[in-house]
Amino acid sequence: MNAKANKNQSSCIEPSYYQAVTQAIRTQAVQVLKDGTVAGVVGYLPGRRKGTARPALITTPEEAEKLIFSPACVNNLSVYLTKSKKGVLKQGRIGIVAKGCDMRALAGLMGESQIKREDLFIIAVDCAGVYGSRAERSESVTEANIARKCHECTVHHPEGADFVAGAATELSGLTPLEAEEMARIEALPQAERWAFWKEHFSRCIRCMACRQVCPFCYCEQCLCDKNRPQAVENSPRPAGNTAWHIVRAMHLAGRCGGCAECERVCPMDIPLNLLNRRMAKELKELYDYEAGLAPAEKGPLNQYKEDDDQSFIK
Amino acid sequence: MHAEAKQHDFEPKIVAFVCTWCTYAGADLAGTSRMQYPANVRVLKFPCTGRIDPVFILRAFQKGADGVLVSGCHPGDCHYMAGNFHARRRFAAFRALLDFVGVDLHRLQFSWVSAAEGGKWVEVVTELTERVRAMGPMLEFKSLEHEEQWSAFQAMADVPGVVNTPELKEAYDKI
Ligand code: SF4
Ligand code: SF4
Ligand code: SF4
Repeated sequence: MNAKANKNQSSCIEPSYYQAVTQAIRTQAVQVLKDGTVAGVVGYLPGRRKGTARPALITTPEEAEKLIFSPACVNNLSVYLTKSKKGVLKQGRIGIVAKGCDMRALAGLMGESQIKREDLFIIAVDCAGVYGSRAERSESVTEANIARKCHECTVHHPEGADFVAGAATELSGLTPLEAEEMARIEALPQAERWAFWKEHFSRCIRCMACRQVCPFCYCEQCLCDKNRPQAVENSPRPAGNTAWHIVRAMHLAGRCGGCAECERVCPMDIPLNLLNRRMAKELKELYDYEAGLAPAEKGPLNQYKEDDDQSFIK
Repeated sequence: MHAEAKQHDFEPKIVAFVCTWCTYAGADLAGTSRMQYPANVRVLKFPCTGRIDPVFILRAFQKGADGVLVSGCHPGDCHYMAGNFHARRRFAAFRALLDFVGVDLHRLQFSWVSAAEGGKWVEVVTELTERVRAMGPMLEFKSLEHEEQWSAFQAMADVPGVVNTPELKEAYDKI
């Protein structure tokens, strides 16, 4: 194992832990495929390059023997169950490998009537963190290469799954990077906040990867693709970009479970999860709501109380 | 009698998104009662505050509004029972987002104005107009409209690794 990585770790998870989880997932997936509980399992297969993984839909026990779980299993697979990725669920009950943060997306999708609990067999992973983008892929996850979102994860011991693979130790002693960054931006003078986001939004190339990867952006037609009338300019220019990012954050407010997939896939390194987290914080403060902890029929922005705060309204 | 017309250096453009049942009727009442209020406000009528999408507000700013007013029925008076309750939550969240992104919230006003409150309409509109007038033009969104992707790159001319040759600059200036 890499000695340098060993030095700055606070909660290093040994590779053997991932092997144990991999084994548990395989055994469970083979079993549910053999006894016909599920028609398929959405999980991870090894990627072509060393130290990578790729999402896959497995339909035979033989293939299930190849499933893995490693720190490279970054994807939130719940997106494959939504109607924007048509077809997967048409085949009957389906198994899915899910980390804690992915389970929040599953709960959210259940709340929004996009999937039914009885159609799923959730193989949850007691997660010990995954690689961040640009992380050096040493064999184990360390503070230096763990994803930013994992620093503040509160759901890595998943609840309400059909099967849980592994039993990870606590992730402790990690600096809450995102909370610190959010506090830093909030403390900036207003003009500097604008300058900060302007610089980021101006770089956006409108590839829409952030939308395609988000489990909650399953709209048949995105508001931002509409052109009669056009709501948001859709060429990659700073004006339209700014509107797109504000609209996206607004549409995900109260729904986003913080899987940070949008930020991971962004080729321009725009800190999208800061916006998501800012909205989540606001809704927690205002309406005491946290998305994705359990399926909820109504999110914070489609319900109301008669005595909601209206101090900002004249 | 008309009050004496004052000359100002800057006349802000105010866009008001109002619901048809309360605030629009309230503004109408102000008009039929011959109350004076600043002509800076452009009123857009909607069926309900619940129909006012935050993207409308963004678009107003992008297209040159210096201030935006969103106004509808008082809680409990909504023609569709709960539209304004939903709007209240949505706009509370939207304000937090705009604030985080760095927009000055003094340019965005929310209010409840009923069909009987012509006087309150005048008060709200006058206050917002004068406040925005004192703040000057809203340049943030407007200036974005004139910017291209590459303007950001030009600002980064000295950043190592950023391709920004004189040829590129020339090609860019020709666009
Ligand atoms: S940005 Fe909004 S409209 Fe577009 S896909 Fe996402 S939720 Fe739907
Ligand atoms: S907005 Fe980003 S973090 Fe939130 S659910 Fe979608 S992909 Fe995940
Ligand atoms: S993934 Fe990044 S560059 Fe692409 S549209 Fe989203 S924010 Fe813009």
